[in-house]
Order: sequence, then structure tokens, then C-alpha cells
Amino acid sequence: MTTVLTRHNVRVFGHGEQPMLFAHGYGCDQNMWRLVAPAFEDRYKIVLFDHVGHGQSGAVAFDWARYGSLDGYAEDVLAICHELDLKDVVFVGHSVSAMIGVLAAIREPERFDRLVLIGPSPRYIDDGDYVGGFKQEDIEGLLDFLDSNHLGWSSTMAPMIMGNPDRPELGEELTNSFCRTDPEIAKHFARVTFLSDNRADLPNVKTKSLILQCSQDAIAPESVGRYMHQNLSGSEFVLMRATGHCPNLSAPEETIAAMEAFLSDPAPAKAVA
Amino acid sequence: MDQGLLIETAEELYESAPCGYLSTLPDGTIIRANQTFLTWIGMDRKELVGNKCFQDLLSVGARIFYDTHLAPLLRMQGFVNEIAFDLTCADGRVLPVLANTVQKRDANGRPMVHRITLFNATDRRQYERELLLARQKAEQATQALQRLNETLEERVAQEVAERMKAEEALRQAQKMEAIGQLTGGIAHDFNNLLTIIVGNIELLQRRLPEGSDRLQRAATHAMEATRRAATLTQRLLAFSRRQPLDPKPIDVNKLVAGMSDLLRRTLGEVVVLETVLAGGLWRSQADPNQLENAILNLAVNARDAMPDGGKLTIETANARLDEAYVEALAEPVPPGQYVLVAVSDTGTGMDKATMERVFEPFFTTKEAGKGTGLGLSQVYGFVRQSNGHVRIYSELGEGTTIKIYLPRLIGSDEEPAEIPSQAPAMVKGSGETILVVEDEPDLRTYTTEALRDLGYRVLEAGDGRGALEIVERHPEIQLLFTDVVLAGGMNGRALSDEVSRRRPGLPVLFTTGYTSNAIVHHGRLDPGMHLIGKPFTYAELAAKVRRMIDRG
Repeated sequence: MTTVLTRHNVRVFGHGEQPMLFAHGYGCDQNMWRLVAPAFEDRYKIVLFDHVGHGQSGAVAFDWARYGSLDGYAEDVLAICHELDLKDVVFVGHSVSAMIGVLAAIREPERFDRLVLIGPSPRYIDDGDYVGGFKQEDIEGLLDFLDSNHLGWSSTMAPMIMGNPDRPELGEELTNSFCRTDPEIAKHFARVTFLSDNRADLPNVKTKSLILQCSQDAIAPESVGRYMHQNLSGSEFVLMRATGHCPNLSAPEETIAAMEAFLSDPAPAKAVA
Repeated sequence: MDQGLLIETAEELYESAPCGYLSTLPDGTIIRANQTFLTWIGMDRKELVGNKCFQDLLSVGARIFYDTHLAPLLRMQGFVNEIAFDLTCADGRVLPVLANTVQKRDANGRPMVHRITLFNATDRRQYERELLLARQKAEQATQALQRLNETLEERVAQEVAERMKAEEALRQAQKMEAIGQLTGGIAHDFNNLLTIIVGNIELLQRRLPEGSDRLQRAATHAMEATRRAATLTQRLLAFSRRQPLDPKPIDVNKLVAGMSDLLRRTLGEVVVLETVLAGGLWRSQADPNQLENAILNLAVNARDAMPDGGKLTIETANARLDEAYVEALAEPVPPGQYVLVAVSDTGTGMDKATMERVFEPFFTTKEAGKGTGLGLSQVYGFVRQSNGHVRIYSELGEGTTIKIYLPRLIGSDEEPAEIPSQAPAMVKGSGETILVVEDEPDLRTYTTEALRDLGYRVLEAGDGRGALEIVERHPEIQLLFTDVVLAGGMNGRALSDEVSRRRPGLPVLFTTGYTSNAIVHHGRLDPGMHLIGKPFTYAELAAKVRRMIDRG
């Protein structure tokens, strides 16, 4: 029987009492925290996990309806919190998982101490005056691209194509060993992620939050980060020198420093008592 | 010669390799490119190097992938293999490539440069598309096969059930046909016997001396019993669809309305009669006497199904039987317009097993002695013989509806027939000559004696040949009265045809207990032919013969 912990390949380590829960974004797995998480393990209880269909998450029948919106993924985050009885959680979410954390914190605000949102976007597609950075057809293009990489991109398909499902290491050696995803689930996740619109949820967040915004981030442009800041009461906004969409990998030191500053802020943990 | 020129330089290998080489900064900015790549992409070195990022050559969707997948992967594992990209060339063409990328890091592990190797994947992408398509087709075929397998058992069961139903219907039809032939044959023989019995009883009644009341009563009883027997054989014939029908244009509304007195008497006081007659009802073509019989039979059955009282409803309506409806029937019924007569009761109803057998002759649910089991058989036989259709609907405890569909009559100016309400008055002859042809001696004797009694001069023959000789010798003959079935090779129809040739206009009256196609086309009289069914009574014979001679 798969439990929540095996289903999400949950790993817990560190010497602190307060839990720090890291959630990876679309296209990756918990490995993307390898340069950031160790910096906090002496003071926090570090919790890492993989979303369904990603990394080493357990093979389960994928519930297409449950994961038809980001709420299903937020429920998974809360299920992990319940299973480990986590309280006063510092939630660190990258990319789409930033919004997943926002949704989880709205549902159970008492469970969360702070939110660290790296490269968040409440909506990726332009809408009137709102500039998300993408058009609907761009997202269709991404889905087409994923299709053409089912065969070409061997990180996911090589074991299947090579006809050695019993010896997947053959495929791994040859290709990409990180961020392995189930292609159909990944595609579904991409669609749900990039077509989501959670702007209306932002005013409901009561948890103190930090927005880490990269320079020249094509996925979540600076204007989107500022929109988040305006609509999340009690949020802090940090524009990083790091470029791209993954400062936790390309600029771990700067990411860690910004988090440290935010977490040591003596302001009351709950933005609204 | 400088030996150095014979050996290729590293630069030569780099520039002219069969793959594209790119070096970029960690943010994607291109800092070096080989000639092969420049040729593929159709750009100058200056245009590209230092001025463009690798991501700039990608579609938006692929750039999302670059940022969310490729960049993190490079940072985590230092390399990425075989990513399928479509690069946009200077002239807008799309170049499918496979990209392998290695991240070079400094001593502290910081990313310095990306080495990208690109393979032209135009052909491979084509194969991949074909492969994907083939796989999709294979999956669809597998799924279709699976669905087929999953429903196989169900479909076989369905087919078998349908086949069994069809076979059952065929068996039922064959049974009805066999019973029909049997009853038809019996009825024919009985009719001949009954005709002799009736004739001789009538003779006795006429010749019994005055004052022999007791003998007269006995003869009357015998006559009544014989009439009842005649009615039974008539129904047997009706069921076997061999009764001679006399179809006429009829107004079914008028017919039903005309029956209401009779029906009320039949139903008694506890059953309420309601008639719902449709306005603008089409005319139909059927034998009005037999239709009356059918309705009466249904009313009697309905009454018996409502021992504690109830309601009998007779409705008429215009109806249309469509292709779909008639196709589902075991018997052949042409689609089209019909006149519907529905007889409904609020009685006990019947179960399915009973419903399947009700049209069989002698099948009855009534107590012994209370029913002959021939009522519905008559209805069925008559309606089928009239090219109509009978449908039975019944619910146990709710009641029964029997629907009779008779074909609509189109394009006839004939007035609807009046129902003969009473027996014609006894009419005598005045010495006219009649030729009687009958191969059954007893029957011939009865007929000739009856006709002589009526005041006719009678000549007789036992077969067609003898009859023709008599016709030759006796031009005074005014009526040919012949049985349809004759021994000796010439049947009544053939005789009639020959006589008509020799004596055009001579009226011919047929008689039969059993009709064949010689006189009855599909159970109907040919136009202009006249028939008196066996067993006939003295009075019927008198009326029919008089009318024929007067017309002739």
C-alpha cells in the first residue's frame, strides 16, 4: 500500500524543530533544492517531496480529475503536512509550486508560518491590461513541443523505446537522470499550470510571504512579480540579480541570503492576527 | 610539399564537421559557432556571435521548456542529451535538430560555458512522426479489438436470442399454418355433411304430417344443433383463411354504430359499452359480415374477462404502419395506411404465454363447455385474409386491447355496403330450368329436391363433361349451379369458363364448403362470380337462385 510519504518520495532531514517544506516547480523534481536546502538543515526540519508523476514519486493511478486544477496539488501538500504533523511551516515553492503553496495556505492558514515564493505567477497568459507574458497559442506550442520530445527526449522515453523496461538504468546512463517525468502527466501538469488563473485567490492569503523575482525571467516576468506583491498583503518583494527562472540552481547563494533575511525578520509571523 | 598541409587541422574538423557546434554563456548568449551551423541556419557569424542567445532561435513553447527543464537539468547533472528542438532559420525555415549540451564549470563549480552539439534531425523527425502515427493506429486497433472482445459475449448472446426469437416466430407461424390446413380440411368435410343433414331435416320438417308436434320439435332441435355446428365449421374456415370472403367498401364507424344494440345485449348489464368513433375515418375494404363476427367475438371474450363488470371500449382511428413496425412482425404485412378498430376491456388480462397462443384454434382459457376456442381464431384468420393485421396488448389485472388494422380503401366510388340485417323472404321459382352439377350424390339429391320444391325445373350432372352435354342439348337452361370441386378432371371454374364460352351471359352460381384458387383469388371471389357457401339453408338457396335468375 502506498502511503502519502512513499507516493511523494518524501524525504525528511535536518536538526531543527520548525519544518521547512520545499516544493519543486513544473519540469523538475526535489533535486532542484540540492543547492539551497542544505543551508537550512542545521536550524530547520527539511522536508522534500516530488509531485505526482515527477521524479521518484510512486507509481499510482493518476486521478486526472483531481489534478485538473492546482487545488489537487495543494491538497497533496496539505496531506504531507497532516501525515508528518507539520506546524508553523515555512513553505518554499518554486514557479507553479509557489501558487500551490498559496492555495494550501488559504485552506489551512494556521498551519503555515511563512511562504517563500520563487518566480511565482498567478496567471501566465495575458488578459486585458494584465501581462502574464504568454499567449494561448504559446502554451499550445509548448504542448506540441512536449509531444515531439516524447520520442526525441530520451530522459523519459529511452527506457521504453529501448525495450528494456526491466533495466531502466540503461536508459538513465545514456540520457538525463534528473527530473524524470511521466510524459502524459507532465503534459497534463503543463496544461494545468500554464492555463491556471489564481489572481482572485491572492487577497485571501493571510500568511506573511516573500516574493523572489529574478531579472530577465521569461517564465515569470518582473511585472508579474510586482503584481503578486501588490495583491498579497504583507508580502515582501526582492528583485534578484540572478537571471532566468531557477535562481535556486543558478544563484543559490543569493537565494539563500534573501531567504535568511526574510526569515530573520522579527515582524510577527502572521500578517493578520 | 609541406607535409603539414596533408593533415587536417582541428579548426578544419571543427568548422566542417557534419554537426553544428555552439558555445554559449550560462545565460545562453552565443559566443562561438562553426561554419556547418552557420550554413544550416543561414546567418553570418557576426549576426549570431555575441548578439543572440540560443533561446532566441527557439519557439516560445520550446523556450518555456528550455527555462523549466533544460537549464535546471544542466545545472544539476552537467549535461543534457537528445533534446528535440525546431530552430528558426534566417529565412524563416524550420530546422529540426537534436541537441546535446555539456556545462563546463570552473574550479569552484560555477558554470562557465555551455558546449552544444546539434544534429540535423530532419529525417529522424520524419521517422518519429511516422512511428508515432503508426503507434497511435496500432493502439486504436488494439483498443477496437479489445472493445470487440469485451462485447463479444454480449453480442453473441444477443444474436442467439434474436435468432431464437425468429425461430420461435417461424415455428409459431408454421404451427398456425398446419393447424389451418387441418381445420380447413375438416371443415370442408363437415360442411358437406352438414349440408346434407340440413337439407334432409328441412325435408322432414316440410313433409311431416299435420299434428305430429313431437316429431316437429325433434326436427327443430336437430336443425338448431346443426346450425351451431355450421357456425363452428365457419369459424374453422375463417381461421384457416379459406372462407370465401365477400369484401366490400365499408365505413367501419357505421358498422360499429350499427352493432351497438347487439353488443349491449351480448355484454349484459354489468359491462358498460363505450364507442369512440374517429371523425374523418378512412374507408376500408373487408367482408362486413366477417368484421361484425370478429367484433362480436372480441366483445364476448371481453365480457368473459370481466365477470364482475367493467367497461368495453370500441375505438376507431386512422393509422399508419411504418416500415420499422411491419419489419418487426413475423407475418408479412405491407406498410401503409390502415383503419384501426380497437376493442379494449378492463378485465383480467393475460400473461405472455397465453398471449402467444390466443389465436390458435381450440385454445381457450374458459371452462370446459363454455368456449370453443375459435373466437380469436376467426378474428385472426379473417383479418389476415383481408390483408390486415391484428395486435394484442394485455396486462395481467389491467385488461386487454386487441387492435384490428384493415387496409385503407383508396379510389373507389362504391358506396359502403349495407349490412344485410335480415334473412331474405322466401322466393319461389316459376318453372325456370336450372342445371345442378355436384359430384356428391347425396348433396346433389338434396339440392335438386330443394330446387324442385321451390318450383324450378332441375337438370343434374355428376361431372363437368356430363354437364357440358346437357348444356348443349338444353338451351332453355337459365342458371348453372355448380360445386367448385368436381371429380372427373374438370373443376367448377373450368366448367363455368367453357359454359360461358358456349352460352355467354348464362349466370353461374358456385357452391363450396372449401374454396380453392379456382374460384377464390386469395380468398376472394373473382368479380362477377357468385357463391353460396355450404352448408346453405333452403331459404338462402331460394333467395340466391331467384336473384341470379332475375338478373341474368
